[in-house]
Amino acid sequence: MFERLLRLAIIFSILAALYIAYWKVRSSTQSDTDEPPPWRDSRVLVVAAQIVALGLIWSAADYLWANFRARTSDIGLKLDFGFLDQPSGISIADNPLNSNAAISAALVQGVKNTFLIIIVGIPLAVILGTLIGIARLSTNWLLSKIATVYVEFFRNIPVLLVIVLTWTIFLNAFPPVRISWLPFGETFIFNNLRFGFPSIVGGDKFGTFQVIVLLALLAAVAVWIWRSRLFDRFGTPHHRVLYGLGTFVAISVIGFVALGGPFEITTPEIIDRVYVGGITMIMPYAAVMVGLVLYTASHIAEIVRGSILSVAKGQVEAGNALALNSFQRYRFVILPQAFRVAFPPLINQFLNFTKNSSLAFAVGFAEITGVIQNLFGQSRPAPQLLLILMVVYLVFSLVLSAIGNLINRRLQIVGH
Amino acid sequence: MADTVEAKESTTLAPLHSDTTPAKWVKDNLFNNVMNSIITVALGVLVVFLLVQSFGWIANEEWEIIRVNLRNFMVGQFPSDDLWRLWSSAFILIATFGIGTSAMAHNSHDDAIEKGLVTERSSLLDLLSRFWPILAFVALVVSFAQTWPPVLGVIAGVGAIAVTRFVGWALPAPIRSRAVPMMAIGTVVSLAVLAGTSGLVAMGAGVVALAIAASELSRRFEGSEPKSTAIRTGGPIIIGAATLFIFNAIGFDGYGWEDWGGLHLTLFATVVGIASGMPIGILLAIGRRSELPVIKGFCVVFIEFVRGVPLISLLLFSSFILPLLFPPSVETPETLTRAMIVIGLFSAAYIAEIIRGGLQAVPKGQTEAAQASGMSAAKIQRLIVMPQALRAVIPAMVGQFISLFKDTSLIATIGVAEFFQYVAISNSQPEFLGKGLQLVTYAFVAVGYWSFAYTMSKESRRLEKQLGVGVR
Repeated sequence: MFERLLRLAIIFSILAALYIAYWKVRSSTQSDTDEPPPWRDSRVLVVAAQIVALGLIWSAADYLWANFRARTSDIGLKLDFGFLDQPSGISIADNPLNSNAAISAALVQGVKNTFLIIIVGIPLAVILGTLIGIARLSTNWLLSKIATVYVEFFRNIPVLLVIVLTWTIFLNAFPPVRISWLPFGETFIFNNLRFGFPSIVGGDKFGTFQVIVLLALLAAVAVWIWRSRLFDRFGTPHHRVLYGLGTFVAISVIGFVALGGPFEITTPEIIDRVYVGGITMIMPYAAVMVGLVLYTASHIAEIVRGSILSVAKGQVEAGNALALNSFQRYRFVILPQAFRVAFPPLINQFLNFTKNSSLAFAVGFAEITGVIQNLFGQSRPAPQLLLILMVVYLVFSLVLSAIGNLINRRLQIVGH
Repeated sequence: MADTVEAKESTTLAPLHSDTTPAKWVKDNLFNNVMNSIITVALGVLVVFLLVQSFGWIANEEWEIIRVNLRNFMVGQFPSDDLWRLWSSAFILIATFGIGTSAMAHNSHDDAIEKGLVTERSSLLDLLSRFWPILAFVALVVSFAQTWPPVLGVIAGVGAIAVTRFVGWALPAPIRSRAVPMMAIGTVVSLAVLAGTSGLVAMGAGVVALAIAASELSRRFEGSEPKSTAIRTGGPIIIGAATLFIFNAIGFDGYGWEDWGGLHLTLFATVVGIASGMPIGILLAIGRRSELPVIKGFCVVFIEFVRGVPLISLLLFSSFILPLLFPPSVETPETLTRAMIVIGLFSAAYIAEIIRGGLQAVPKGQTEAAQASGMSAAKIQRLIVMPQALRAVIPAMVGQFISLFKDTSLIATIGVAEFFQYVAISNSQPEFLGKGLQLVTYAFVAVGYWSFAYTMSKESRRLEKQLGVGVR
């Protein structure tokens, strides 16, 4: 290390000496130049500083890389990605992948599971957080106090603790499989291994029906736009929710009847320890989801509260003067303005949510961190796996913040 | 921070007597319309139900697991014969910081009077209302104690806080003005009692001695004649090196942080994480605002990379890859040391972003004015920009401190026995294995984390108000 730095210093001083000599020669031959000496010339100093910085960064990286290569070759660690095709030796719960499947397949499943946490969790956290943020500002003393206690509790304990706490409470609160809790006439299943919900299962004409539903959705949007235009132009009451929903339901029902019932609703059942019908989620997933949502909602609630308080008081008073009720005041006056303020910090919370989803391994849910930790346990090469792990999260972060910034740009008032 | 003087706010006065009767208050705040009445009744039932349930749970649960493992939760597997080290290091810290903070409070009190401001020293009752969660947690811990020494120790500690508050306030002005060096020396001595005098402690002592000598010598030897310049620059280096040498030579052995554990280690790891992240973070923040593409690019890539991946992946890096980066001839450091390196870099990236926010908040006119008066770039950063930027980000830094405090629970996952890890350890002891006492231990640990984090978050909000951040 020391030798390397010494060599670097010698090279730099030779370069500097050469340049100074060059400057001396030039200033003595051209007597009319008023150039400052190189150690005072900011153009030279800028370049010199960057060369020195680059040299230091380069030699540090080179030094660490040399150590890394020496150590890895000592323990016979290969640095290629060929191992990805080998059987993984791990099995993932609730998934056909068994221990014979390739490592790459297990990793892809891990990424899918991470995505499954994010895509369900973030909307839930936003909804819960917004409700609690509004509740903190309620005129009802009890409601606002409960919301405050909620926020101050969850904001001030580690998220890892929230997740494992949720898990433990679920394990204790729900009964074992053989005496599962079956509420609402056995349409749901709750036990300490799995939650089951009713679901739909499609017949052979289900594909056609999906197309019809999609068309119904498009028709509803068109009707929505038509009613909004009408309102803008003539001021007739738009009732766009009513019209849009009506169109959607009407077309869907006609399609359903015309196709003679393309799908059925199935409820989950346990037959010989196998879950049949409905849709089920494993306990760790439910625990991670609830824990992360509870934790993130407490942070989102604070953001929402702050942004609501930032809406000018006159706006609220004007809403009152127009005799809007409190729901209308929030829906049409306060929330649209507050959302614009709240959005940038919300993006940050989405990123935090993504990163915190890595703690799901603590309750044994096989998202990407969990899969990779399991593979470490199978003594798979750590450097490559860790690289994959970090790249996955970086991609998630970048995509999320890119989407967020895009929306944010649309939200901001033009010209401000 | 424990004891500061607040400038009194001139707020609008409350009416001298209010017409509100309890009945009217209830009607206004709980039953002012139909919707609110329904909400109140529904939530009231829910709250009563939850309270009854949780009191029932607390009363019926087995708390023996906490009682037996109390010392583990607090200090881990620290050798029981040498517990005196922990106690005395805690007392040294309490004494120096109690004296130091109240001396600083007295200084700013004098300042305020000089400027004609009305100030009031925060009373013991104020302190109680600000720090009640921590005190409550300490009381909870004491209530679980099975022997007398910890109880007496805590009582003595609380007494020491009260006594040092008055001692610090009563000190003469010249000593009071050296409150910060006093606290630094106290920290070094306290660490030396715990961890011995060699290695990192000696290095810390050297740095502290260097800093103190630099400030003292520059006070004595002003002027620009060569002799005082030589003393000002050479003196601190010699004194720092001498201190390092002497500390190493003393040869007093203790227990390095590999032997620490429990809440003690959690708190210490947080402080070390922030303290080591701070200087690197400042450099990264300045580098990110630099106009030189190489330096700026390096800082941006580092900061965005660290902020883009979860801490757990960095900790996995520290346990699997970091050992491979040391030269083959060197023995790799232990798990905790490697984790602390990563945590320091992790918090540096976050601190850099906070400080960058503070730097952006400093008006451009400040830099331009400094340039106009002929200051060098380094001097402008050090004397004009940084002090203003750092003042503006104090609340955000406390926020980062809280979040790092919570995040240290993750080092449990790479097998470091800190506070959170003792949930798993205590539940796997043969006498408690399979008894389903996880909830009990989680509840205890949650109260511990919550009391510290909640107190700090309240303090940061108070500081925000006091510093008037964003108000000017």
